[in-house]
Amino acid sequence: MFPTAPLDTTIEVVTPENIAFKYQLAGPFRRLPAFLIDLVVKAVLIMIAVLAVALFAGVTGSQLAGVVGFAAINVGWFLVWWFYGVAMETWFNGRTLGKMAMRIRVVTVSGHPIGGVQAMLRNLVCIADLAPPISLQFFAADAPPVYLIPTGIAGLVVMTCTRRMQRLGDLAAGTMVVIDERGWTLPVAQVEDARIPALASYIPPDYRVSPSLAKVLALYAERRLFLSPPRRRELAKNLAAGLSERFEFREDLDPDLLLYALYWRTYLADARDQDVDLQPLNGYSPLQKDAALVAVEAVPSEPSEFVTAVVAGDQPPPDSPTDPSSETKP
Amino acid sequence: MNIVSLLEQRRHGWEELELLCNQMQNRGRTRAKAAGAARFASLYRSACADLALAEAYQLPPATVEYLHRLVGRAHNQLYRSRNFSLARSVDMLVRQAPQRIFADPCVHVCALLFFGLFWLSMLLGMSEQRLPDFPAQVVGQAQLEQMESNFEAELNAGFEHYVMMASFYIRHNTGIGLKCFAYGILIIPCIFTLAYNAVALGTSFGYMARDSTIGGENFFEFVTAHGPFELTAIVLSAAAGLRLGLGLISTTGLCRGDSLKVNAIRAIPVIAAAAVLFFLAAITEGFLSPSPLPYTFKAMWAIMSSGAMTFYFVVLGFPRAGIDAT
Repeated sequence: MFPTAPLDTTIEVVTPENIAFKYQLAGPFRRLPAFLIDLVVKAVLIMIAVLAVALFAGVTGSQLAGVVGFAAINVGWFLVWWFYGVAMETWFNGRTLGKMAMRIRVVTVSGHPIGGVQAMLRNLVCIADLAPPISLQFFAADAPPVYLIPTGIAGLVVMTCTRRMQRLGDLAAGTMVVIDERGWTLPVAQVEDARIPALASYIPPDYRVSPSLAKVLALYAERRLFLSPPRRRELAKNLAAGLSERFEFREDLDPDLLLYALYWRTYLADARDQDVDLQPLNGYSPLQKDAALVAVEAVPSEPSEFVTAVVAGDQPPPDSPTDPSSETKP
Repeated sequence: MNIVSLLEQRRHGWEELELLCNQMQNRGRTRAKAAGAARFASLYRSACADLALAEAYQLPPATVEYLHRLVGRAHNQLYRSRNFSLARSVDMLVRQAPQRIFADPCVHVCALLFFGLFWLSMLLGMSEQRLPDFPAQVVGQAQLEQMESNFEAELNAGFEHYVMMASFYIRHNTGIGLKCFAYGILIIPCIFTLAYNAVALGTSFGYMARDSTIGGENFFEFVTAHGPFELTAIVLSAAAGLRLGLGLISTTGLCRGDSLKVNAIRAIPVIAAAAVLFFLAAITEGFLSPSPLPYTFKAMWAIMSSGAMTFYFVVLGFPRAGIDAT
């Protein structure tokens, strides 16, 4: 049997509590800005050190201060350049300043926080990920043949080839970079539309939604806000046709409303909501057997505005009852 | 089932957990110290349970995703990174590194390659009669002239020069060593850097050993003291790098990623030893080598450092049981 892992960038991690939770992997487009921010931070740190030493030597005017300052800059430069990432990732739980800004974090492939040795490995091998460097001569023929400009092709190629989007340093250290979102709001689609409970009350009470259908309904309800009414009907049509037939609903029922009503009944309906105020829908029935009756009765008089809203016509139903502002965004 | 009322019951706990996560992320601990940590742990466990039950509850996917994120965040705060420990570092340098270096075929190959090429190019560089242009072809005329002018005068530098040069060597030479290590994962750049350094250094040595060269004696007086440390450090950093690259190729039955990881862990003590040697070499090169101290003293230092390294690599490194136990 083939594993049915979703085709996306999530990675499942099993914790010591024996819970499997999912991380979302960070790809090159999130990691590159973090890398550049870190590069700027390193350069600024070195520059500040140079300025401070120059200022100190200038103010005191002693040659010794200048010499010691020069030495301090050299050693500081070496430490900042090579060990900035190591120190930050070790002490700040897998994050550097750039990673904090881009909300990403380094963890081991098993989902645990990284240790000092792993931070050192992945940061040292970073040089190999930036390979091959190209020479300035590529742009200006008279430049010295020093290989200065890193292209990062090695890291990029390896990243696209590995399942966890790891660069060489990550592979060596056994780490991966995940997105570390904070402040997520709890997403539940609210239903404020009076037609929905009314329609849901016609769904047979003994009908039980299967888990997979429940998932589909939730996904649909959370995303329908972003779809135009014709698109909603188009998507809902296939699923709604079978359901409509099963519930013996009339064929011109808006499929979007049917799925939404089923969502409401699956997730939001409560015993307290049993007495639904049908409002103008009073007397309207979506059932097939009532369709002929309604047709006979309704032909002479004007169908009410809400009934036309339930029935899918050529024109999109008025959006005012399903005003997106009245629902929480997923 | 009413999902809203169910979530209302649970969300207070989740929000509190989020708050504690924020506090721990910003300050490294919760505001309420021990009580907060205990509360955090209990909230984390219940969030884990909620996540495990999410499928059974038939929670909407977006809510399940929220729980995944929440548990992930809390997990990251609960299991934090381990910092460096001094005891572990000392153990790595004194016990693990020499044994690994002694037994590692990568070190043997790199040492053979480096010193073989070094001696060969030194011989070629020395043969003034047969190959007069060899050094100029290898390292360039300009560099040869600069070396000659550098070592024309007697070695006698001031204190300022020592401090400045030592710090420069720490940055420059150790940087080259670390670069050599990093490139080891790609194998070819590492071997190239090692071989290039061997040939360039060997040729320079050979050229300076020629009778006709000016400042040859001063040159050898300069390099004697720090040579053993520096050359060994180059070999070790390349060997550590090569170990990474070899891990990718020779997997010994492991999957490629795991093999790389295992080899990287084995390379760490070697590169740590190389870094220490680079540091010692830089200090020697900065303070002792350019000083006007008598040559005997510098030669003594070289013999002593070679002896210490022999002790380190051979006596401490001699195979013992349980090298892989850690």
